[in-house]
Amino acid sequence: MRRVPALILAATLGAGSVLAQQAPQFHGFATEGFLYSGSNNYLGMDTSSGSGAWIEAAVSGNEQISDQVRVGAQVHFTRLGKFGDSIASVDWALVDWKLNQRLGLRAGKVKIRWGLYNDTQDADPGYLWSLLPESMYAVDVRATNLSQYGAELYGGQRLGDKLGEFAYSLYYGYYFYAPNDGYMEGFREQGLSFTKRPGGITPGFDLRWKTPVKGLMLGGSLMLYNASGNLVNGAFRQPLTYWPAYYAQYDIGKLSLVGQYMRLVQYTDLAIAGEARSIALSDSRAWFSMASYRLTDKLQIGAYHTRYLVTSSGQESDPANHFYDSVVSGRYDVNSYFYLKLEGHYIDGNGLGFYGFDNPNGLKPHTNLLVAKVGFSF
Amino acid sequence: MRTRALLLTIAGAMLGLSPVRAQVIVVHSAAKIAEISRSDLRDIFIGASTSFRDGSRAIPVTLKDGPVHEEFLKNYLGRSNTAFLALWRALLFAGHGTMPQAFDTEAMLIDRVASAPGTIGYIGVSTKCEKVKALVVK
Repeated sequence: MRRVPALILAATLGAGSVLAQQAPQFHGFATEGFLYSGSNNYLGMDTSSGSGAWIEAAVSGNEQISDQVRVGAQVHFTRLGKFGDSIASVDWALVDWKLNQRLGLRAGKVKIRWGLYNDTQDADPGYLWSLLPESMYAVDVRATNLSQYGAELYGGQRLGDKLGEFAYSLYYGYYFYAPNDGYMEGFREQGLSFTKRPGGITPGFDLRWKTPVKGLMLGGSLMLYNASGNLVNGAFRQPLTYWPAYYAQYDIGKLSLVGQYMRLVQYTDLAIAGEARSIALSDSRAWFSMASYRLTDKLQIGAYHTRYLVTSSGQESDPANHFYDSVVSGRYDVNSYFYLKLEGHYIDGNGLGFYGFDNPNGLKPHTNLLVAKVGFSF
Repeated sequence: MRTRALLLTIAGAMLGLSPVRAQVIVVHSAAKIAEISRSDLRDIFIGASTSFRDGSRAIPVTLKDGPVHEEFLKNYLGRSNTAFLALWRALLFAGHGTMPQAFDTEAMLIDRVASAPGTIGYIGVSTKCEKVKALVVK
């Protein structure tokens, strides 16, 4: 009789299935980044003196229980100057049930698909770039929006040779502002001190259309979120916010062209004891365009330009209300495990990535930045 | 006309477009499909698709390295081995899947495809493949 439950379990999980015969997979990576800037300190590091305080590492494990069910988890460590973890944290941990090409379900701590790169932005080995566009994938605040505690439905459908195919992601979950990233530093610099870190719901979707034009993909995402938290002397609230992004990618051979646009309209409601209630509006828009080209099997080069504007300020020409970044980049893969990256930035404005704590004498309007990185992955 | 052909060849080489070479795409002998399009093959091997046109599950398997592996990647995926690994690592580190099973030799790959319905792999054109079914690539 004891065999019956075992047989039922085996039948349910498909113990004899093809994928389940594979051994569990363990992979990881580690990177070290060095940043040098000509003037302002950037991303919470002492970059004007040259800083190597950017370290990242991750280890993931995956077990395919059956052809349809996978369990996996990844721990990730980021240290970015003042920001990041003192110990590794769980990046994602999930059960992935893929019924077929059209329908799958991931549940647990799941990465959020938003725009082209949100869910993969902390996987450095996958990119040419050392720094993704700060306007949308800011490395100093990414920990907050990377993943959520909840579930994601995903899949795709072929529409025929003349219509291409689409892929979708639909999710709902909960998130918390990361305890030690740029968002919290920004709040601190506004004089806000939390007794309960803000968090809320984060539903959303991503839809990508692989068009009949070979290599052309178009897509759009919408992430919604709200937040509430307790301050030492009051309450913090952000009502439901809509965060759309629209993007296109065109790959032809060794050349890849990418563009993305987003707009974020956000209200922050502060109720502080002894002060009048304040509701602040921030309306920001950003876009980037990228081009990359693989020169050889080991060498890839590229450039991008991004712009971020706080349009609600009414003074977009003020360096505090914009951030323009022109970037050239190169990556050399020494072998299948080691790679090197070198990247130059010319930044106009300081609306993103610059903080008062490490720029006590104020900010200059322009910043030249050099980033060098070495990485290892397996 | 010669100049035009030469320019097209140079442009194609710069964009990484290369003519089809000699690899044989193989699947389990019980597979119902007899042919596969280049775009479907590419999608399966870059993780964008997990099924064949008939709806059945497609599970890519690869060689670890070597000329057959590199030629396959170049001809059908337009990627180097390092770019191929970078792509899969991005998916893997985002929690979206696992790397394709990779084998040291073509014989090991054939054994795997022969014993596992749904798997799809590739071998050199001179390699015997009686145990598996060869697909026509359209």
